[in-house]
Amino acid sequence: MKSSNDILDDLAAKDYEFGFVTEIDMDILPPGLNEEVIRFISKKKNEPEWLLEWRMKAFRAFEKMSMPTWQNFEMPEMDFQKISYYAAPKSKKQYNSLDEVDPELLATFEKLGIPLSEQKVLAGVAVDVVFDSVSIATTYKEKLKELGIIFCSFGEAVREHPELVRKYLGTVVPHSDNIFAALNAAVFSDGSFVYIPKGVRCPMELSTYFRINAENTGQFERTLIIADEGAYVSYLEGCTAPQRDENQLHAAVVELLTLDNAEIKYSTVQNWYPGDKDGNGGIYNFVTKRGSCKGVNSKISWTQVETGSAITWKYPSVLLIGDNSVGEFYSVAVTKNKQIADTGTKMHHIGANTKSRIISKGISAGHGNNSYRGLVQVGPKAEKARNFTQCDSLLIGDQCGAHTFPYIESKNNTAIIEHEATTSKIGEDQIFYLNQRGIDTEKAVALIVNGYAREVLNQLPMEFAVEAQKLLSITLEGSVG
Amino acid sequence: MSTETTLPIYDLLTEIYDQQSAVPEYRQKAFNSFRSQGFPTIKNEEWKYTNVQPFLKEQYTAAVTEATVTTEDIKPFLIKGLDAHLIVLVNGKLNKSLSTFQSDVLISIEPLTEVPGYAADSISFTNNAFAALNTALTTSGLFIEVKANATINKPLHIIHYYTSDDNVFVQPRHMVCVHKNAKLDIIESVARDESKGIVWVNSVTQAYVEENAQFSQYVLQNGAANTRLVNFTEAVQHKYSLYNNFTFTFPGTELVRNTLHTRLAESATETHLYGLYIGADNQLIDNHTLVDHRKPNCLSNELYKGVLAGHAKAVFNGKVYVHQEAQKTNAFQQNNNLQLSDKASINSKPQLEIFADDVKCSHGSTVGQFNPDALFYLRSRGIEEATARALLIGAFAFDVVEKVTIPALREHIETLLNNNMENWYA
Repeated sequence: MKSSNDILDDLAAKDYEFGFVTEIDMDILPPGLNEEVIRFISKKKNEPEWLLEWRMKAFRAFEKMSMPTWQNFEMPEMDFQKISYYAAPKSKKQYNSLDEVDPELLATFEKLGIPLSEQKVLAGVAVDVVFDSVSIATTYKEKLKELGIIFCSFGEAVREHPELVRKYLGTVVPHSDNIFAALNAAVFSDGSFVYIPKGVRCPMELSTYFRINAENTGQFERTLIIADEGAYVSYLEGCTAPQRDENQLHAAVVELLTLDNAEIKYSTVQNWYPGDKDGNGGIYNFVTKRGSCKGVNSKISWTQVETGSAITWKYPSVLLIGDNSVGEFYSVAVTKNKQIADTGTKMHHIGANTKSRIISKGISAGHGNNSYRGLVQVGPKAEKARNFTQCDSLLIGDQCGAHTFPYIESKNNTAIIEHEATTSKIGEDQIFYLNQRGIDTEKAVALIVNGYAREVLNQLPMEFAVEAQKLLSITLEGSVG
Repeated sequence: MSTETTLPIYDLLTEIYDQQSAVPEYRQKAFNSFRSQGFPTIKNEEWKYTNVQPFLKEQYTAAVTEATVTTEDIKPFLIKGLDAHLIVLVNGKLNKSLSTFQSDVLISIEPLTEVPGYAADSISFTNNAFAALNTALTTSGLFIEVKANATINKPLHIIHYYTSDDNVFVQPRHMVCVHKNAKLDIIESVARDESKGIVWVNSVTQAYVEENAQFSQYVLQNGAANTRLVNFTEAVQHKYSLYNNFTFTFPGTELVRNTLHTRLAESATETHLYGLYIGADNQLIDNHTLVDHRKPNCLSNELYKGVLAGHAKAVFNGKVYVHQEAQKTNAFQQNNNLQLSDKASINSKPQLEIFADDVKCSHGSTVGQFNPDALFYLRSRGIEEATARALLIGAFAFDVVEKVTIPALREHIETLLNNNMENWYA
């Protein structure tokens, strides 16, 4: 009896009999953005009229918007007309076997301890892991279906559950929220849709990784997660392994919505291509993420580990509308070489007794620049709102930068808001102590950094946490010396 | 800039500028900068929470009236028991007859009629339209120069006296140079008589603290409601120098905006910035500070505390910038706020921008209320509520007040605090 890994190996070794071409949809639009393009995308996806209208509305809003200027980095020139908005599936270069894959990438996989089958999917080897995924996905799907949980691609959701999509789409991140959100709303390709019905506790961690079309969710992904009354779900986005990707701009939108007593835990590990040592290439990760605690006693928790992308620019936020609702944000952002991270969160306290907690740990190495930008806003009706914010920065090397831009706005005299931030480097005495015990400097730094980021890593689901820890060490390799 | 051009004040200032003949280049540059920026709007990040537009609507007259002010008028604004040299400025102009102190061998105190070119150049006008405007149009101010190695043993008490029945826009410009090894303390207070006009004060102060010099600046702001204060202060510090700034704002003046920049141009300096703002009624108190660490081994410490009652609105923006060269920097910053009324609002933004790795930097910011346990503790010991609240406010403010080293001034501040006791109830 062959193990599934063997089967995969065999498959990988075999020439793909049916050729790859059939897999690639030939409809690739020429670069450019106009109403026709949007009509085309919508038609391609067999979308109902209302969704096309919504896209159009977003496009019109997009046309009126200009690029923001408040960010703490040099905004790269961006020509929206030079992007092809329909190329599904993305023209990912496919390899025939792992031997063709960049050995450095493989070495990273090795260190992360990723099983062979997964390595192949991640590296883009044309193994029919899809089969594997399908089976995993279907077994899980059965189980989820029994509980009434909807977990499918966005396109499928539009077809199968139009009433839910229509009801909630754009309610948390409106189509005109910001230029990238508007662009996404106009041209989004696909994404994920999750609905947890009343009183259901999702028995497993949901992850795009197990979904067949995970591979194709591209540049303009859209995620919508709804937890109905009393529901609970933990959702994992991304993957600890480096993603090969040719797209420059990623403008995704994530909307979370919790009704009464519901809870969503959203974890991200982002490790996209950061560009080379001199900052050439790399992904611009401009994502709009927002959750709305609409119901009373509801909770939304964001956890993110950001190690990839040339520029990361995102602020997962929570609208604390329901009384007693809770928002949390845990973040570790690592920048090295010429990477830039401008990230943080917004906590809008609107309802009474709302609580929020922000723990942000920035690590800058090489020429990296790390900014924390956060807003804690307490409205006049948010009686007894409570916030605690801690944002620490760790600097490794004298060419990097750490910045904090916290905004605190209080309009209620029962609110208690605390903010603290520190910036420091790794103590020479700490390194010396570890050196003394036979641990080399690189490992010592990894150890110290992991300790420093522990508070956040602890929030990650188990499997993720282990990988994220390794990822941190790998990311910082070569930055000490 | 459509909104600005419709403001009568904008037209008036343009008119004043156009009437000048042979305008020096730095003034042209400054006015052009102002013209291109216009008065700041809330779209401007530095003015996000402070909307000055409603304060600019009124009709102003061009000329600042010459007023006769007597010693009797000044008397109520003297600080009890303070042993200081008195200097009085009336509507931004040095009044030698009211001042009890003149220049001597150690110090020269003269009206500043022309801003030295280098001083005008050193101020960045980016996001600084008011300073640009001041540079372009200032006509009066104070120039204080302490000679090298001189220690001025008594503080200078500078009273900025404002009086006007018409609405006026005053733009004084001050310069303080503390030369090598010299030491100077100044206390500045704003005095407003009962005249009816609105006085808009747009002032700029530049301080140069040279090697091993020490300069302490105490600023007291408790004018009448019809006064509006927009101050820009820039202190440049040289090696081994010490600069202390204390800013106390009390209920009264409806708009206060203090922009305080300290530029640590050389290494091994020490800087302390303390602020206490007590807001009530419809006051808007905005403190923007920047500590610009350019060189290594500097220490900066900042503590701003605020108590907000009534409909008061407070803004704190503290920025610490550590350049790559500024290794071994120690920079600390703290902002605490007591929000006593549900109509009051607080916007705090402590900000760190750090490009050096061998540094110790931290900041903290809090917003809170009276600790009910502490209040209960005091009440249970037979202390009536009003006194209990006053005690707690006193304790809250103590961290800042205790840093004042001039006893009479400290007592004066404590008195001002106690005078506001009725505000401690929501």
